[in-house]
Amino acid sequence: MPTLVIDNREVTVPEGMNVLDAAKAIDIVVPHFCYHEALGAIGSCRLCAMQFLEGPVQGVKMACMVPAQDGMVVSTSAAEAVELREHVIEWLMTNHPHDCPVCDEGGECLLQDMTIAGGHYLRRYRGKKATYTNQYLGPFIEQEMNRCITCYRCSRTYRDYCGGRDFGVFGSRNRVFFGRYKDGQLESPFSGNLVDICPTGVFTDKPFRFKSRIWDLQEAPSICPQCSLGCSTIPGGRFRELQRIRSGINQTTNGFFICDRGRFGYGHVNHPERPRDPRVDGLPVTMEEAITAARNRVDALAAKYGGASIAFLGSPRASLEGNLLLQAWAGRVGSSQSVFDAHQGRDHAARSLAANLASLARSLSDVRQSDLIILIGADPLAEGPSLALAIRQAVRQGSEVIVIDPRPVALPCAHQHIPLPPQLLHMVLKALESGQYDELNDAQTQPAVKTLRSKIAQAKLPVLIGGADMLGGLGVKLLCDAAKRFISAECNIGVMVMLSGPNSFGGAFLNIGGPDFDALIDAFQEGRVRGLVCLESDPFREAQFPAKAQAALGHLELLISIDCTPTLAAKRADIFMPSRATAEMAGSFINNEGRLQAFHQAIEPGMPLSALGPGKHPPRLFQSTTPGATPQPAWQILGQLLDRPADLNQLRRTLAAENPKLKALTHVDTTAARICAEPNGIAAALTHEMFSADSSAGNVPLLITSAFVGSHWLSHLSSPLKALREEPTVWLHPSLAATLGLKHGERAILSTTLGRCHVRVQTSNDMAQELALTYQLLDSALEGMSPGTIINCRLTGEEGQ
Amino acid sequence: MNDYPQVLFKNRLPGETVTLRSYEKTGGYQGLRKALKMSPNEICELVKDSGLRGRGGAGFPTGIKWSFFPSKAPGEKYLVCNGDEMEPGTYKDRQLLRADPHQLIEGMVIASYALQATAGYIFLRYAYEECAQNVERAIAEAKAAGYLGENILGSGFALSLHVHRSAGRYILGEETALLNGLEGKRPNPRAKPPFPAQRGLFGKPTNVNNVETLANVSHIINHGPVWFQELALTIEGSGTKLFGLSGHLNRTTCFELPLGIPLREVVETYGGGIRQGRAFKACLPGGASTPYLTAEHLDLPMDFNPLEEVGSRIGTAGVTVFDETTCMVAVTRNLVQFFARESCGFCTPCRDGLPMVSWLLDKIEHGLGNHDDLCLLAKQVQNITGRSFCALAEGAMGPVESLLRLFEQELKDHIQKGQCPFL
Repeated sequence: MPTLVIDNREVTVPEGMNVLDAAKAIDIVVPHFCYHEALGAIGSCRLCAMQFLEGPVQGVKMACMVPAQDGMVVSTSAAEAVELREHVIEWLMTNHPHDCPVCDEGGECLLQDMTIAGGHYLRRYRGKKATYTNQYLGPFIEQEMNRCITCYRCSRTYRDYCGGRDFGVFGSRNRVFFGRYKDGQLESPFSGNLVDICPTGVFTDKPFRFKSRIWDLQEAPSICPQCSLGCSTIPGGRFRELQRIRSGINQTTNGFFICDRGRFGYGHVNHPERPRDPRVDGLPVTMEEAITAARNRVDALAAKYGGASIAFLGSPRASLEGNLLLQAWAGRVGSSQSVFDAHQGRDHAARSLAANLASLARSLSDVRQSDLIILIGADPLAEGPSLALAIRQAVRQGSEVIVIDPRPVALPCAHQHIPLPPQLLHMVLKALESGQYDELNDAQTQPAVKTLRSKIAQAKLPVLIGGADMLGGLGVKLLCDAAKRFISAECNIGVMVMLSGPNSFGGAFLNIGGPDFDALIDAFQEGRVRGLVCLESDPFREAQFPAKAQAALGHLELLISIDCTPTLAAKRADIFMPSRATAEMAGSFINNEGRLQAFHQAIEPGMPLSALGPGKHPPRLFQSTTPGATPQPAWQILGQLLDRPADLNQLRRTLAAENPKLKALTHVDTTAARICAEPNGIAAALTHEMFSADSSAGNVPLLITSAFVGSHWLSHLSSPLKALREEPTVWLHPSLAATLGLKHGERAILSTTLGRCHVRVQTSNDMAQELALTYQLLDSALEGMSPGTIINCRLTGEEGQ
Repeated sequence: MNDYPQVLFKNRLPGETVTLRSYEKTGGYQGLRKALKMSPNEICELVKDSGLRGRGGAGFPTGIKWSFFPSKAPGEKYLVCNGDEMEPGTYKDRQLLRADPHQLIEGMVIASYALQATAGYIFLRYAYEECAQNVERAIAEAKAAGYLGENILGSGFALSLHVHRSAGRYILGEETALLNGLEGKRPNPRAKPPFPAQRGLFGKPTNVNNVETLANVSHIINHGPVWFQELALTIEGSGTKLFGLSGHLNRTTCFELPLGIPLREVVETYGGGIRQGRAFKACLPGGASTPYLTAEHLDLPMDFNPLEEVGSRIGTAGVTVFDETTCMVAVTRNLVQFFARESCGFCTPCRDGLPMVSWLLDKIEHGLGNHDDLCLLAKQVQNITGRSFCALAEGAMGPVESLLRLFEQELKDHIQKGQCPFL
């Protein structure tokens, strides 16, 4: 812990911290560009000059390159250092255009700030400026290279931090160019981080272009609703339109970066088909009328058939407060039928995790520091993209990554892949736990698992990572059991499991011992349950076996939906109440490590101004109310229905009083202790029912899983992300492809009980041999295929038809 | 014609390259035989005693550099020969490799043995195809004769040498940029520490030396450090130096001369005087990045310390001479343009500072400058020198700094006349 003096103030900082950060620790900020906490120091901009007066190094030095040491006396205001900073800023600005008033970055431009801070105000250089031809980089990023000050942050983010390969540095001297070797869409699923990391307006958010000046945006800290990791985000909106999302900073979770699905997947908020008006029996009503109708009809049904005749379906994307109140409603009518994920496998996985995780929980920050990462049935880019980024950081520090998965899992870092069929994953986990390899009769798998065991035992901070879809409830339990077996003084092993939504863990926590959706389906069919309340959930689409669910849902007498997206449940509901999207409300989620995190309201709901009339300002239609502003936070709708406090803080206090384990709700912040459930609370049998395939003649088992874009409901509604959607594809191992007479790149016909559709055949050596693999794609012929299942299929070449 | 003892050029014949047989005839590979009987440490001490200083420009004492090398560390260690000779006015390594490439091979084997390096790379300028072929031929000959490869001369020591042709940028002469280039990466210089001796090529301990430095090693082993010291004309200097003459001289060739030889003798005796009987005005004593010397420095001994005392450097001893009709502003502008063009673009003072200096000199040269520009120019020099990431920009400021110091009146004349006074 070196102690040094900066500008006559003493500061003690951790070993290895550089002098620039040491100064920051006592709120002395010296202008700098190339240094970034997540990217490290490279010493290229030469701006953070300080005068080292005493100590082991002396003279004007770049503070980012000098580790703080005992005895240093440093001045940030010494004439020589100040003069150098003035000059560096002047040089940086020699080529910079004077387009600040119309620049997209204006208002949040680090270069603007640093130019002023550096003391540069007059351009003395009158020579030729370097100019560039810009590239087309796809639908997310706009490039304006003339603004570049060559800080190398973009290439370090894209290549070094995010592992992208198709973007880099070209040229030399004052003609350095940052881009692709030729025009084209950036390939990295983390490309949007270029926007946040560029200190000036070279890389800007394309969908956000020309929509607002930064200072006109309404922003608030929020949590990304696109997956279960709970990355910190900052949504910004104006004129009732959510216009952009940038990464928040949370060192425990995402650090500084988010994925493109989180950044550009906000289209559901502004979606033209978003239902904004309450309805009862197809007729528009006021929110109060809808709430009264919902309460009365549920009460009537309960009076007639008993409280158990009503079921309540919460959701992984609804806030913890909303889900809690839904459960409270169930309690009031005397129903114990509340479920929080319509997908059986995912629900079981979440509950199993909530019950077994306890002190095994690891954050993304822990993953970044891990020395051995084993992924079993986990595909981070599909299920939790920021995890892929965290894994890469561990690899950059020397961690080893082993993936055991039937899919050709892509990671932005070096890793070893053991492609095993899905049914073997549980056996591998059992073998890891027990050290008994008998069930693994495969000649290659046995030694691989043996090696794995010894590697885990030798690692200091290993993390076992699983995914809800492939592991299910049983698999998650086996994963936790296996991890527990290795706990020792030397081996601080942990677990991370990717769940389906931002509040999967929260829902699981509330319903650890309750029924599951399959039990409800039976009850619908048998007439035991006659009414269903759906909170931001869509059993028509989200059930693990949607066809079965849809048939059963047809028996219902009463369907109530509270939602902010155009789901099938919302369309078919007898009573519909519009709720608000995450960016439009405050609330909290529990992420996949059991961390309770709050989010705040960024914008007010309403029809975006751009969607009204010609989309120009000012609006042509004058009225005293805001069109489409009816939606309320789900917890507020339910709160009104249940006569609960309308104020969120009061509501949280009463909820915390009712649930002692949720004490943290009274004071939610990101550092709050993790939540976990009782391990012995699980009543539902943790079976794993993904396999409904039989391998009779001609049938091929088809494993269905999710893609980076196209399988997730919220991001599916976002138009910029459509560019990343792949066409319907079936992946095959070359040996199976040969048996079926199919070739890589060919088109084929995929026939299942869900219908027939055309797909493109892709082959990969890096996947399990005896199955076909496809991704659920919403709004396509593959929509009915629910991730985490295996069904029978037949594949025939198009030409054979 | 050259009265001084010839060491590196003793076998040099016009238009010929020494083969292994004729190299051996004049004592070739005797130094290696001797060295392999010594301990690596003894060789380092010997080189240290000889006072050999790096011939690539910086002049760091070679023996001391070697003594920092973790020769006992396990695993791969590399010796890299820097033959990326791209400094304007410098062409000595080319002459050496054209004439007698085996000296480099022998020097590298001895150095590798002293450093316990496991492989050597010879990094050559893109334009030196002839040299590359010479070196490759020499490597093949040496290998066939047992001077290279496994179990060299029965000593148990093994070494492989590889020739690498540069992609062709000046920055590759900077040793850490060279290592990046050799690894196939962008040739940006690396931050020091860690120094290449700790983490160099492919992350392994690496020692980088110039062609001429390594070529001297076998002679030092052969004849001893005292002999080497006595080659120089100054007391503190040691060895000979290849002087590459260029500019307004009657004879512009490369000579091997003792360190400490007076500049006047270099210019008048070996350069044959200034062309067309004109007067000496100034010279770059050691390549484009060394501050100018003027007529008042003609009696200075050409050695490291005496030149540093007058604010210049011997650099690579590529002496470029300018006669009295030369506009020094134009010369400096030309040099700065070169450095600005060859900047790798990594750090701001070099990437954007050098074009600003170039623009200022251009303005002054065209008679469009004013007295504020002189202050501005001085401030640029002050804030670029020592403030850039590597030595490229600092080297570029050498001529500019000496232009301001030695030719202030000439700059003022440009401003007052509103045009170049030499037009």
